[in-house]
Amino acid sequence: MKALTANRLSDGDVVFWNSGQWVERFADAQLFVDDDAAGPDAEAAGKAQSTVVIDVYLIDLIESEGFWAPLSYRERIRALGPTNHLHHGKQAEGGAMIEALQHAHGAARSTGRVNLIKRTK
Amino acid sequence: MYQYDALDREMVADRAAEFRGQVARRLSGELTEDQFKPLRLMNGLYLQLHAYMLRVAIPYGALNPTQLRKLAGIGRTYDKGYGHFTTRQNLQFHWIKLRDTPDILDHLASVDMHAIQTSGNCIRNVTADPYAGATADEVDDPRVWAEVLRQWSSFHPEFSFLPRKFKFAITASPKDRTAARVHDIGLVMRQGRDGALGFEVIVGGGMGRTPYVGPTIREFLPVDQLLSYVEAILRVYNRHGRRDNKYKARIKILVAALGTEEFTRQVDAEWAKIGEGANLPEAEVARIRAAFAQTAFETLPTRSEAFEAARAATSGLARFARNNLKPHKRAGYTIVEISLKGIGETPGDASSEQMEVVADLGERYGQGDIRVTHEQNLVLPHIKLDDVPAVWAALKGAGIATPNVNLISDIIACPGLDYCALANARAISIAQNIAEKFRDQDRAEKVGELKIKISGCINACGHHHVGHIGILGVDKKGEEFYQLTLGGSGAEDASLGAMLGPALPYEKVAEAVDTLIEVYLRERKGDERFLDTFRRTGVAAFKEAVYADAH
Repeated sequence: MKALTANRLSDGDVVFWNSGQWVERFADAQLFVDDDAAGPDAEAAGKAQSTVVIDVYLIDLIESEGFWAPLSYRERIRALGPTNHLHHGKQAEGGAMIEALQHAHGAARSTGRVNLIKRTK
Repeated sequence: MYQYDALDREMVADRAAEFRGQVARRLSGELTEDQFKPLRLMNGLYLQLHAYMLRVAIPYGALNPTQLRKLAGIGRTYDKGYGHFTTRQNLQFHWIKLRDTPDILDHLASVDMHAIQTSGNCIRNVTADPYAGATADEVDDPRVWAEVLRQWSSFHPEFSFLPRKFKFAITASPKDRTAARVHDIGLVMRQGRDGALGFEVIVGGGMGRTPYVGPTIREFLPVDQLLSYVEAILRVYNRHGRRDNKYKARIKILVAALGTEEFTRQVDAEWAKIGEGANLPEAEVARIRAAFAQTAFETLPTRSEAFEAARAATSGLARFARNNLKPHKRAGYTIVEISLKGIGETPGDASSEQMEVVADLGERYGQGDIRVTHEQNLVLPHIKLDDVPAVWAALKGAGIATPNVNLISDIIACPGLDYCALANARAISIAQNIAEKFRDQDRAEKVGELKIKISGCINACGHHHVGHIGILGVDKKGEEFYQLTLGGSGAEDASLGAMLGPALPYEKVAEAVDTLIEVYLRERKGDERFLDTFRRTGVAAFKEAVYADAH
């Protein structure tokens, strides 16, 4: 599974794509089946919204405690907030989904982000 | 401290107004992100993982109480009630909104502050000895020369698009508190036999993926020749520094490629062409110097009975005094270093309330003078010994009286993967885990001076190469791993650390540091520091102990 993420231009907040809209909670993100064209299509549509978001890319997901969670540790930190201030960022809201992300163990590079960095070099 | 004149104020206000227009054009779509990004970076605004980060310049780490209160206020209004002091003696806000930035820059301009040249391939904030003007061992006040360099380098048209960023550090004390030897240019002031002042000029030091301790290219540069000489260095770099490869673009690569002798020859040839005209007239140096004259010192006895009585009666104050007070050049005064390394806290973070307490103390007891250290602490440089008990009590009340300056828990750590878009691994929580292990202050004092420095990636913002124990976060197939290096130093005895062995997983790092300390305590002779013992014994015993149970 994949989700589409970006940072909102006006405030830098981490956002996720859902059906043409950008939402703030990972829990509300639209999920894309790995090889489905819907993911890249959404990525292209998201990138076209250049006055709304920047740094648009797809992230890989894994299952954790019955929920989907970002595979890479970096993306989990983006979806949660910094580990040194647990009341900062999206994790402050708490709940089962947040806990599932905090407990997730998959740890791989954020491929979408690596591609992004390569492109901007 | 140096006061802005009308021209300085106008430049900073104009720049803030210009950025307001640029932000508006970006939000409306008139500017693309590709067009806007270099403009925002020129104003210190980065995009990190969770939000924008604004890096505010604190020239040579010197603040007055009004400025520190303003930073506290910005932290409260536009961030999450705190700020993060950095290894360039600057302050970063980590939760900034682009749309608020023009207002923040106006707030900064109202107290003669800005975020100009805190990013980009230009001359960055000049750092200096945080004890300048206070320490007994300096030959001159390095802030005078840091301010000369600040004015010279601000908006310098020739040096606004260098091959890569460029960092100066300057100290006038034989005890180097600036890491001068690992800067693009390090300037160490000395007094010649005839009493004249000059700089040892060190060029091409640096950290990052290709670390170097910089070579000295001139042993004694008369102070009045400073600007023409650094201009010559910058010209050689600007002409020959590599613009084709970001990773080979720093001056250290050029110096290493040409060799010290050839690089020096080219600088000298350029210097001869530039001539005396580029140097600052004596009258202007005198004008700048006058801004730093300290006139408020009283004639006091060396010993303060009030302080001695309080210290004898309060063990907490005694411990604070042992570790956080440093000798002042004036009798009856002391330098108070405020550790921003509370056990379990984030190195370099200060809440808005804490900043306000320090601002109040600086105003009431400290001649309105506050400094930031490159080791992410704060300093009240001019405190009467008589006032130390009151200052300590107020710091304690604010949770910033941790008595650990230069001890094992006084750790430099970059923001790492918790915030930074470049990081591979966390740095802050590693620092917290180590500090927790050495929470027992008696044990920490028994270990003595120990500099642990942690970076979350090879760019080395956490100065790991020059840590007595350096820790570098790496990404091993997506997992956080950490390479340990031993024997580095950023001080006058500068050296780069040597790799201990294979990288360790996150949960093993604090334990490994504990093991290293046990080996040191076993091996040390007399009053050797960790660094001295390591340099004498070599790596073998340390390596063996850390990896003994690894398999």
